[in-house]
Amino acid sequence: MSEPASSNIYDLGYRRYEGERIGRRGTLLTLYVHGLRSAFGLGRRPMSKIFPFGLAVLAFVPAIIQLGVAALVSGGTDHVRIFKHEDYFQYVRVILVLFCATVAPELIGRDQRSRTLSLYFSRAVSRFDYAFAKFAALTSAMLVLTLGPQLVLFIGNGLASNDLSGYLGDNWNLVLPIFGGALLLSMTIAALGLVIAAYLPRRAYSTATIVGVFILTLSIGHILIETANASATKWFLLASPYAWEGMVRLFFRVDPDVGSTLQQSGLSGWTCLAGVIVSILICLTLTLRRLRRVSI
Amino acid sequence: MYVVRMSLIATHGLTKRYGSVVALDELELEIEPGVIGLVGANGAGKSTLIKILLGLLPPTSGAAAMFDLDVATHGLEIRQRIGYMPEHDCLPLEISATEFVSHMAQVNGLPRGAARERTAETLRHVGLFEERYREMRGYSTGMRQRVKLAQALVHDPQLMLLDEPTNGLDPAGRDEMLDLVRRIGMEFGISILMSSHLLSEIERVCEYLVVIEGGRLVQSDSLAAFTGRTSVLTVEVDGAVAGLATMLRARGYELREGVHTLDATLGDDALFDAIRDGAAELGLGLIRVEQRRQQLEDLFRDEAPEPIGV
Repeated sequence: MSEPASSNIYDLGYRRYEGERIGRRGTLLTLYVHGLRSAFGLGRRPMSKIFPFGLAVLAFVPAIIQLGVAALVSGGTDHVRIFKHEDYFQYVRVILVLFCATVAPELIGRDQRSRTLSLYFSRAVSRFDYAFAKFAALTSAMLVLTLGPQLVLFIGNGLASNDLSGYLGDNWNLVLPIFGGALLLSMTIAALGLVIAAYLPRRAYSTATIVGVFILTLSIGHILIETANASATKWFLLASPYAWEGMVRLFFRVDPDVGSTLQQSGLSGWTCLAGVIVSILICLTLTLRRLRRVSI
Repeated sequence: MYVVRMSLIATHGLTKRYGSVVALDELELEIEPGVIGLVGANGAGKSTLIKILLGLLPPTSGAAAMFDLDVATHGLEIRQRIGYMPEHDCLPLEISATEFVSHMAQVNGLPRGAARERTAETLRHVGLFEERYREMRGYSTGMRQRVKLAQALVHDPQLMLLDEPTNGLDPAGRDEMLDLVRRIGMEFGISILMSSHLLSEIERVCEYLVVIEGGRLVQSDSLAAFTGRTSVLTVEVDGAVAGLATMLRARGYELREGVHTLDATLGDDALFDAIRDGAAELGLGLIRVEQRRQQLEDLFRDEAPEPIGV
């Protein structure tokens, strides 16, 4: 090869590996970390970092605007609330879905396209472990965009109120909704992206389909509620991003805005939560089924 | 003393059907550790057998075991001790060889530090140096084959399954790959099952040979047995061989005659004396008198000479 001489100098002979082997725990952790790194394009060419990092930054923009406005209108943060916690994800949901559409094919489609799956499954990696690690990695990547801005908003509002401890004392009840809502929302979008990317290994198709499913279910849901009998068609909303909204509002104990599609449908927050959990389970089951059957 | 020898691979009635196509047909196999060649024409069932051993494919019927563990029930345990180099492309081209091989080592349970150390060593063993930090997209076929070999070796397996490791390589790359495989088998002490449809490759690397055809076992034996000496003696002289042939026939030997060579069927050592005497009498120079060795290719010919004393 390029430096035949160096192989003579440094060749120490083959050494057996007698050290520790971590086993399944190590395998899972490795797959998870590798997934998280590929989600943000780490260890890859700079081009692969642009979209994930760009979208992540965009998800923080409303939070930063809110804090900026609050800082300009000095001393009046309690009255200036452009972006509230319970509304936040609705402003950025397109960004969240775009992020998932960019990252999910990277995580689970690429291994199929490059046929690396045969290397994983011929090692001590089960289909379940693989799917679980990828789902955990994608959920964690989504959390950066769902939980991150909420925390910035929460801490920023506290700092702007001139009385951080007082603010935290008054608003500690927001902490659980912030974390719970972000986690479930991340899991929902991740599971949806994962199943689509698993069945459509070609990147262009899976990205377009993830975005398409989001837009279609959103608009069909809206049209059904506006034009048809809401009591008959409202169940469709459980398969749409309206269920995500209902679930988040349930966490923050805030009713949907009067006149909004969700409010017109009459679906309760608990129903939305159940719908979200069922959709996560369906998506993960289908992903696993695909991994069991895909020819490698 | 009775020595229990571990069986590396054993199959019993192993059958795999794809619809109406039978890829493996009641295959019976028992192999001990070593460097093993798996030979068969394209479509003989080599890749299918390897994939079943790895648990990537379920068999239609029958059973397979590796390291005396059942493939169906101890798949994960077996696969921790195996390295697999597929025939097809399997590399994520957007990352570097170092990043990829180290990741694969960690997937096999090596801690991060050890994985990095072994990655550097292994890539050096297979002959990848500075280029290992570059994206694999820019690699030649030869370099990619080396990375594929490295990922199968990095976790120090007990057995490596190499499916057509010289696929797509030019003659020089082929030689280097075969040298590497032989070195891993002989010096590193790792058992190897290498499939190939080229007998010359197997002959260079392996000490044990498994021949399958149409999903069935044709023969399974040491390479020496396959290439044992035959009962044919080939004589080459520096002149016309006709006179010598006449003399030998007169003494009752059976011959096949060429221009400068003749093949005699070896009965007893008196033949050697007869050849010597005859050549001296006719003033012929003897260039070569040798017992012909059986060629591996003979396996696939009908008129193969019978091996003796095997």
